[in-house]
Amino acid sequence: MRKKIALVTAASLLASVVALSGCGGGNSGGNSGGGDNASQTQAQAAGGTETKAEGGGDTASGDAMHLTFYYPVNVGGSAAQLIEALCNDFNAENPDIVVEPVYTGNYDDTVTKLQTAVQGGTPPEVFVSLATQRFTMASTGMAMPLDDLIAADEDGKEYIEDFLPGFMEDSYVDGQIYSIPFQRSTMVMFYNKNAFKEVGLDPEKPPTTWDEVVEYGKKLTNENRYGVGLALNSGSAQWAFTGFCLQNSENGENLMTEDGKAVMFDTPGNIEALQFWLDLQNKYEIMAPGIVQWTDLPTQFLAGEVAMIYHTTGNMANISQNAEFEFGTCFLPGGKRQAAPTGGGNFYISNGLSEDRVQAAWKFIRFMTEPERAAQWSLDTGYVATRQSCFETDLMKDYYEELPQAKVAYEQIDIAKPELTTYNAAEIWRILNDNIQSAVVGDATPEEALKAAQEQATEVLAEYQ
Amino acid sequence: MKKKKAVGAVITVFAVLLGLLWLIPLIWLVGTAFSVPSFHMTLFPTTSFTLDNIKYVWNAIPFGTYYINTLILVVCTFAVQFVTSTMAAYALGVLDFKGSALVFAVIFMQIIIPNDVLITPNFMTLSELKMVDTKIGMMLPFYGSALAIFLLRQHFKSIPRALADAARIDGATTWQTIWRVYMPCAKPAYLSFAVISVSYHWNNYLWPLIVTNSPANRTLTVGLAIFAKSKEANMQWANVCAAAFIIIIPLLLAFFVAQKQFMSSFVSAGIKE
Repeated sequence: MRKKIALVTAASLLASVVALSGCGGGNSGGNSGGGDNASQTQAQAAGGTETKAEGGGDTASGDAMHLTFYYPVNVGGSAAQLIEALCNDFNAENPDIVVEPVYTGNYDDTVTKLQTAVQGGTPPEVFVSLATQRFTMASTGMAMPLDDLIAADEDGKEYIEDFLPGFMEDSYVDGQIYSIPFQRSTMVMFYNKNAFKEVGLDPEKPPTTWDEVVEYGKKLTNENRYGVGLALNSGSAQWAFTGFCLQNSENGENLMTEDGKAVMFDTPGNIEALQFWLDLQNKYEIMAPGIVQWTDLPTQFLAGEVAMIYHTTGNMANISQNAEFEFGTCFLPGGKRQAAPTGGGNFYISNGLSEDRVQAAWKFIRFMTEPERAAQWSLDTGYVATRQSCFETDLMKDYYEELPQAKVAYEQIDIAKPELTTYNAAEIWRILNDNIQSAVVGDATPEEALKAAQEQATEVLAEYQ
Repeated sequence: MKKKKAVGAVITVFAVLLGLLWLIPLIWLVGTAFSVPSFHMTLFPTTSFTLDNIKYVWNAIPFGTYYINTLILVVCTFAVQFVTSTMAAYALGVLDFKGSALVFAVIFMQIIIPNDVLITPNFMTLSELKMVDTKIGMMLPFYGSALAIFLLRQHFKSIPRALADAARIDGATTWQTIWRVYMPCAKPAYLSFAVISVSYHWNNYLWPLIVTNSPANRTLTVGLAIFAKSKEANMQWANVCAAAFIIIIPLLLAFFVAQKQFMSSFVSAGIKE
């Protein structure tokens, strides 16, 4: 008897250890706590490390200047290798500079690592961070304005003008350019043409208005399939919401002012937009209730469980490779007008570097954003190419011929606007996401939720006025 | 007696159910890692067996280096903790010196501070010592462990003084007393702490990510994040599971081999983290 109780206790103790160790690493699956009995080999192993640690530094090659480059990977798998290959190309072309790429997790991890490195006095020279981080980067002095560098280049003006205006728009802080577009995306609608045919809709005529979304959605919804899919989890809801608000605002106003110091969450148009989301779920019942995760939505689309989804163009390669049905892409359907949010990461240069390092960092950014290279990066990752001249390359032309669905993203940039960006953007995002979610789960009406978000955000932004 | 038996049976059934519940993620993980990617999520794989996922993730990032680094990290960290904590616990638990209660209280307080709060100060110290991006820098902040000291001190205190006295009468030095009396008696405490320490450092992600830059110094969890943290596309569960499988398999095997010892040490040490 006692033995059995002991076993139960042991089992539950072990269970909690497993649970905790799982949380600690953020791993999925059941990590069992366990390990070799290390004590036997301690002496040799300890000795071994010290020598290894000393030899673990960088192998400096002559007197070349070393630049550290932090980059997050958000597209999974081989993007890290692509970046490393690009850096090697740069180093080969510029023997006096060695760029050392450092993978820094996702965007959030990158900011954490960056802040730590800055405080520790070892900031990277160049880094990629969200375009929406630019106010924070500028106000905390982590990044420097690039206008002088641009002005010093003979073709500086043309270079900047060559970027798609929709992307370039969120590079400015107080009229100065702080970042250069690199891995940028926008939200488009993916739809299942086979499902359209099945219910008698014209697969070449995707919805262009909210009313059509509802109308088509009703037809497409059946026992095994929802008509519309939107990811409403924290960190994604604010992106989609920017799009819906742009579509529904009186004169195309965004959720925030251009200087990033004020937000306009509780306008009648925005309340209507949030109400529309709830109606899709509750009134028309054409969208899955509750909160669907961003990373699960494409999987559901590919499995045929949802017929039209709002998702990033970054998913193009994945969907085109894996769809077992014909799929189409289209502009986001409009409320009062058609509009879409942009997103993604830009290049920044750290503040307080010596002049020659700044020059080298700038050279690297120019190299990485050359039209051919930006076009190739777009093809390899699914991001939208950032410059007009990218679209004149044969690379891009061939790609669009092969996959016309990809072109929609490029064309949509003309009507796209930056996603929610303010000072202290992370906190403002959290406020908006939390309140949207409280409306989605039914704790608040859209009006209450957005009024609360407005109030909380105004309080946070008060110190930047 | 009959009633007792019935209660025992209920407890057994409950334990088995609990065990099965905790097994589900593992079954799903292994199944997904070894089958052709599919978009329908099911507990048991519905597609055919393949090794391609494992092959793909293994080649996508330098898992070999990451394995060695993680092994060095957990083994060395635990080895040093083993020595430092034993000595500290002996001093605090057995030697009665003035102010030992205060010293113990200060050490004990560190258990309350979450490690993540210390990332920035630790990084700044390492940066001044020029130890950023080294393995030793990654381990250094963990060379002393408040939890281990606490555990061992409590254990040492429960060991009868008479045993140590007997050893001394037989001519044992302090070192020999620790080595031959205290350490063998506290084996369960050592084992439980080993499990906690090894699994914590094996799974730790943020600190190794922040303190290292070069792939030569990075650990398995940083490798996993390349697959698990992508947001622009959908979750490639097959790859995530394959990478997770590669990472957990050594701990899993170690646990199966040594599970009896772990269980009994947890029961007798009476702790969990």
